[in-house]
Amino acid sequence: MMAAPFLRMRDISKAFPGVVALDRAQLAARSGAVMALVGANGAGKSTLMNILGGIVSRDEGEVFVAERPVALRTPIESLQAGMGFVQQELNSLPTMSVAENIFIDAFPRRLAAIDTGVCNKRSRELLRRLGSDLDPRAVVGDLSVGDRQLVEIARALRRDPRLLIFDEPTASLSPRERKRLFDVMRSLKAQGVAIVYISHFIDEIFEIADDVTVLRNGRTVFSGEVASLSKVELVRHMLGSLDYEARLQRRRPAEPGVLLRVASLKRSGIIDDVSFTLKAGEVVGLWGLLGAGRTELMRALVGLDPIDAGAIHWSENGATVRIGPAELGRRAGFVTEDRRGEGLFLAMSVGENIVMPNLRAISRLGLVRIGEQRRSAARMIERLAIKTSSQDQRVATLSGGNQQKAVFARWLAGAPKLLLLDEPTRGLDVNAKTEILRLVNELAGAGTAVLLVSSELEELTRVCDRYLVIVRGRILAELPESATAEQLISALSLTDPREIAA
Amino acid sequence: MKRLLEAVRNSGAGLVLLATYVVFSVAAPSFFGPQNLLEILHVVSPMIVVAAGMAIVVMSGKLDISVGSTAYVASAIFAVIVRDGLLPFPAAVAVSIFVGLMLGLVNAIIVVGLKINSLIATLGTMIAFRGLGLSITDGGLIILPDAVKDLGNLAVGPIYLDTALALAILLVVQFVHRSTSFGRQITAIGNNEDVARRIGIPVDRRTVATLLLSGAFAATGGVIYTLQVGVNTAKIGDGMEFTAVAAVVVGGVSLFGGRGNILTSVILGSMIFQIVRSGLQQVGANPYSYRLVEGVVIFIAMYADALKVGTGSAGTRLFKKS
Repeated sequence: MMAAPFLRMRDISKAFPGVVALDRAQLAARSGAVMALVGANGAGKSTLMNILGGIVSRDEGEVFVAERPVALRTPIESLQAGMGFVQQELNSLPTMSVAENIFIDAFPRRLAAIDTGVCNKRSRELLRRLGSDLDPRAVVGDLSVGDRQLVEIARALRRDPRLLIFDEPTASLSPRERKRLFDVMRSLKAQGVAIVYISHFIDEIFEIADDVTVLRNGRTVFSGEVASLSKVELVRHMLGSLDYEARLQRRRPAEPGVLLRVASLKRSGIIDDVSFTLKAGEVVGLWGLLGAGRTELMRALVGLDPIDAGAIHWSENGATVRIGPAELGRRAGFVTEDRRGEGLFLAMSVGENIVMPNLRAISRLGLVRIGEQRRSAARMIERLAIKTSSQDQRVATLSGGNQQKAVFARWLAGAPKLLLLDEPTRGLDVNAKTEILRLVNELAGAGTAVLLVSSELEELTRVCDRYLVIVRGRILAELPESATAEQLISALSLTDPREIAA
Repeated sequence: MKRLLEAVRNSGAGLVLLATYVVFSVAAPSFFGPQNLLEILHVVSPMIVVAAGMAIVVMSGKLDISVGSTAYVASAIFAVIVRDGLLPFPAAVAVSIFVGLMLGLVNAIIVVGLKINSLIATLGTMIAFRGLGLSITDGGLIILPDAVKDLGNLAVGPIYLDTALALAILLVVQFVHRSTSFGRQITAIGNNEDVARRIGIPVDRRTVATLLLSGAFAATGGVIYTLQVGVNTAKIGDGMEFTAVAAVVVGGVSLFGGRGNILTSVILGSMIFQIVRSGLQQVGANPYSYRLVEGVVIFIAMYADALKVGTGSAGTRLFKKS
């Protein structure tokens, strides 16, 4: 019934030091069909695609292209085998023209010079194949994100690939641009190209894909036609059966008052009319898939990204004031998953890192009192049980869990009323995770409101008092503490009612 | 020519160039007129050649501040060969330029092979090459024989030979930048080196080439200058690297690479500095004030460009095809 797949990856295994990224993973893609590749973070999608791109070599397994085994030792071999990639991250050259962007690594030449005429003509043809009449002479830096992406697709098409891999291509597109991209994918499909489409957006998969392959922990757990399963089933495949650990013992303030009220926060194309409240001493889970706008919402709240509209009200000691995001950023603690990049001064010591935001409190006449600094840091190291040889140890040399504790220690010293935690346990081992969650719990007990983002449901269900479900930048549901994992998973496949109407 | 006039009108550098020219024409009656302009074009030609090489490196997002010392080493070797009559004149020139190429190769090995930031790497070689040159000359003067000296000030009709040569070199560089794969790819590298690498541009090979060219052009500039003044001194090329960078950037090439028109930038930038220098000479200003004024001119030109083009995009308008 079905033609033999153009690409078949069989029993692919790959281990990196300390991690098994792929464990006998399978993947098949047909010509003239869109195959969605999905999986939670760390499921092995990128490793699988890097193997396909010749960037990473496989430990075991075979890859067949049109029934013939291929080695894929280098990116060049991958290109020769007919693969084309459109990366999530745009590889644009903004000061250069559309045609130059398309042909930069292999210009058509006449004698020594670039044959601009041929270059523009062929660019126009490639773009027309994508249904676009962009001027090849236009400067790419002046184009919209969607048009820049078309230029990159045109660059990939230049080699006439028989398989095109789109790695989360819609992450930064507007709805209109997304629709156009899907039209492009459909027309490429009609031209007989096999398409692998990586996405976190469940609704998109049902809109565009014919087949779907689900990876979880390096294994292929589902592979088949999209039509054969429901959205809820797909999400369940992605997340797997959950190992529940008992809820952590809780102590919450007796009469919590509303601390923060956010009304109609908007950021064009990213955050869509978000309203919610947080009470003192409450842990609220912001539950959504990657790319749903979780991080973006947090960044907008603390003023790291601009907002287009919305109000933030802060209540303390019976008084409510309206504040801007920058002010909220000063009042709230913000811990990100990227502790090395955003959170810590890696070259400095543990002690220096801990006291950094509170230098004024331990200074006199503008000079830091070293004795006070050491006492303050020592208190925090003890309180959080940070494992370090001394407070002079460089923070870069701590383990991940202890680094994250150092980030927490920094905020605790200032006793913030609100903590925003974005994947605070990413990359930590089980014990370190539990310690961080216990800390979150303890802080809530002392009256701090916590907004917690995690991709791991079993983690959220251990500490959260409430859940806000975020899909495509909108809060689509609010679930109580008693919500089951099943309910939470189902909630992710909710679709924005307005999109159905559209 | 039309595009050059366009650039003069559109860029801050063009306005500053006109302004300085007008100011000195008013201040010193002898300044205005074609004769002095040709004289300025003569004196500026070594800088145009050095800046053309610098522009290639800056376009790719790197810096080569060893060019002044490279020019000095080439000048020293050239002067020794000519003084002692070791080789005929054309061979002396070829050897000197080859030496520049080799010094460029040293830079390339450090920048590409050892992956050291180009600013730091060439800061090191700037000092080292100067030391190399001084040990060749013992820091003394080497006076060229009279027969050779005259070559430096040879003119065909009203145009000096070195002016024509410098402009020809600059036009070739402009053509290479605008119309060849190499030129486009170094611009791509200047846009974003990581992206260029991902797209499949041979970034390392291209970078090596830019540094080789920069070395060869610096040596050429050094030889032209030596012929003009007829003597090699330990001060040759001193400060030339900064004037070259300033000329390129003031003219409109982005210091971060990837943007700008090399032809107009190098001409405008080099001319601004030479006009200021010649003008100050003719009004009889204290020679020690030259650098002070040049520094001020850099700020005025950059500020004028920011006002004219809009902050952050200096050079974009020069780049677009009209």
